[in-house]
Amino acid sequence: MAGLTLREVAKSYGDTDVITNLDLDIQDGEFVVFVGPSGCGKSTLLRMIAGLEEITGGTIAIGNKVVNDIAPAKRGVAMVFQTYALYPHMTVYKNMAFGLKQAKTPADEIDRRVKAAAETLEITPLLERTPRALSGGQRQRVAIGRAIVREPEVFLFDEPLSNLDAALRVQTRIEIARLHKRLGTTMIYVTHDQVEAMTLADKIIVLRDGNIEQVGSPIELYEKPQNMFVAQFIGSPKMNFFKAEELNDKGQSYLKGEADIIGIRPEHLKLAGKTDALITATPDLIENLGEIALVHCKTASSMEFIAKTTDLSAFPVGKEVKLTANTSVLNFFNSTSQQAV
Amino acid sequence: MSNRTLPRLLQTPAVVLLLMWMLVPLSMTLFFSFIRYVLNNLRRPEWTSPDIANWRGFGNYEYVLYQAKDFWFAVQNSLFIVGSVIFLTVVFGLAIAVLVNRTFPGRGIVRVLFISPFFVMPAVNAVLWINMILDPVLGLNGLAIEGINNTISTLQNLPGIGSFFALWPEIEPLSFRATQTSAYAVIIMVTWQWTPFAALIFMTSLQSEDQQQKEAAILDGAGVWAQFMHLTLPHLARPIAIVVMIQAIFHLSLYAEIEIVSRGNGNKNLPYLIGEFASNNIGAASATGIMAVILANIVAIFLLRIIGKSLMD
Ligand SMILES: Nc1ncnc2c1ncn2[C@@H]1O[C@H](COP(=O)(O)OP(=O)(O)OP(=O)(O)O)[C@@H](O)[C@H]1O
Ligand SMILES: [Mg+2]
Repeated sequence: MAGLTLREVAKSYGDTDVITNLDLDIQDGEFVVFVGPSGCGKSTLLRMIAGLEEITGGTIAIGNKVVNDIAPAKRGVAMVFQTYALYPHMTVYKNMAFGLKQAKTPADEIDRRVKAAAETLEITPLLERTPRALSGGQRQRVAIGRAIVREPEVFLFDEPLSNLDAALRVQTRIEIARLHKRLGTTMIYVTHDQVEAMTLADKIIVLRDGNIEQVGSPIELYEKPQNMFVAQFIGSPKMNFFKAEELNDKGQSYLKGEADIIGIRPEHLKLAGKTDALITATPDLIENLGEIALVHCKTASSMEFIAKTTDLSAFPVGKEVKLTANTSVLNFFNSTSQQAV
Repeated sequence: MSNRTLPRLLQTPAVVLLLMWMLVPLSMTLFFSFIRYVLNNLRRPEWTSPDIANWRGFGNYEYVLYQAKDFWFAVQNSLFIVGSVIFLTVVFGLAIAVLVNRTFPGRGIVRVLFISPFFVMPAVNAVLWINMILDPVLGLNGLAIEGINNTISTLQNLPGIGSFFALWPEIEPLSFRATQTSAYAVIIMVTWQWTPFAALIFMTSLQSEDQQQKEAAILDGAGVWAQFMHLTLPHLARPIAIVVMIQAIFHLSLYAEIEIVSRGNGNKNLPYLIGEFASNNIGAASATGIMAVILANIVAIFLLRIIGKSLMD
């Protein structure tokens, strides 16, 4: 059991800086999710923690021990790779036992741990097969099993579900959540998937270009994004930004001090009453997803935005409508600093 | 015409040609192996033409197996040379391929240099090795031993420690043309020539090795050696099988190296023995040839049994 402390961690390949001066604290037992656009350094950061990538500067501590110069296998971390990276010439059993064997664990102890992990993941009948003879989902479980048997202090997952189909992804996601609850081990998880991030995380870390944009619980990030990047990155469809010229008089009256942009999430936009309209716009396209519909609207100045609604009849295509949102869900930003006000 | 007939018909010339290509020499050899047929015999001129009247049954085989002294020696030697060359090329090939697989400056040039022995003609290879390297007087072998002996004799003349070196004997260079050692010379030169072939095939295969598996193994605490044994070697099972098969086929018919090293003295394989018989006794040569074919097939079946499995999956 251990938390992590990263101090001024940096990574560069030759001249290109991938990560610069990153500070991060992860508590013992926390489930932390790294999100960010492609190429922002999520995998690199994870691999640096694992020790697969050398760090160019700073310190990484697991528990209270600085691990900069400690071999990957001795750091007490186990990693689940996106491609699973199972050993193709070994049976499932041997795959899971391999790490313990390298650590010279007694045979009966290995056997006990592998069987227990297989039991948990419901892969006992597969133990004598080779990875070739498994489905994608089964391989995924074996990869997780291989991590579990080592009883690590920190689990690292790099987009572990991205090769699974939608149904299996949901199922495995829930299993990972259960696993975390049962083991109570620190887990660090990289994903592109909003739902995975929101549902699994105790703490989400939003990265951009190797910098941390914001750290917080999923709800904090959703309700109180610290800047426009995080505001648009968390939530789907992304948050709408309205400048003064798109707003009615009432809307403009909210812009005070530094604030010159109002951010409203699509799901918070609704038809206005007589007095509370913020925006006037014309719906021009509707995507009906069944349970909800996405209404693509245009303001008079041709700015496009999306409203999410369950009541289609309120948004007649081609007819002007007045929209509003509760004041409690409005987010205010400054367009120059891009920060929340 | 059913839709199968036309393709069959069009294939026929090729098939017939191939059959003739194979069957004609084989059946001629088979025929010669059962008759008396020599190129030159003044007392029995009728034996000098291949004729069914000279039928000898299994006489040639009996002669080769029991009277001509070199047959079993040649079989044994063939297998010894082929087996040693295969073992050494696979070991060296693996070592080189793994070493050259990492990136370093000048890797392209190093790779080309590694491959170059393969482009040397077998006869040239043999001449180079036996005269310039292995020769006990003029070759590198002789020069090196001479150098060592000179150093030792200088040391022996020194005061003090000289008495210690006086206990050292003078080193004799190994002659690789001698009866006992000429097979080693052949093994050395063929290994040198074919190691690049093995290395080349292993190198291409190493390129396709999954790096994430290695990283997973590193996290599992596997050292370099454990990674090699548990990941790289199984990954290379198929190319190793290919290298073994191809070399077994090629080296069973070694000839030039054996001829050049010792003209068959103390070191014969089946093709060389056939060559010796064929200078006069075509019947015996043919019988040996047929037995060589049988031996090659035994080797092939044996190889397919043990390594065919890794080729199949
Ligand atoms: N070996 C390398 N040499 C040079 N640059 C590299 C190397 N490995 C990664 N990078 C760069 O580092 C940056 C971060 O890469 P990384 O793989 O961590 O991104 P990521 O956030 O995991 O992206 P994705 O979501 O697409 O997986 C990228 O811009 C990438 O081009
Ligand atoms: Mg990545």
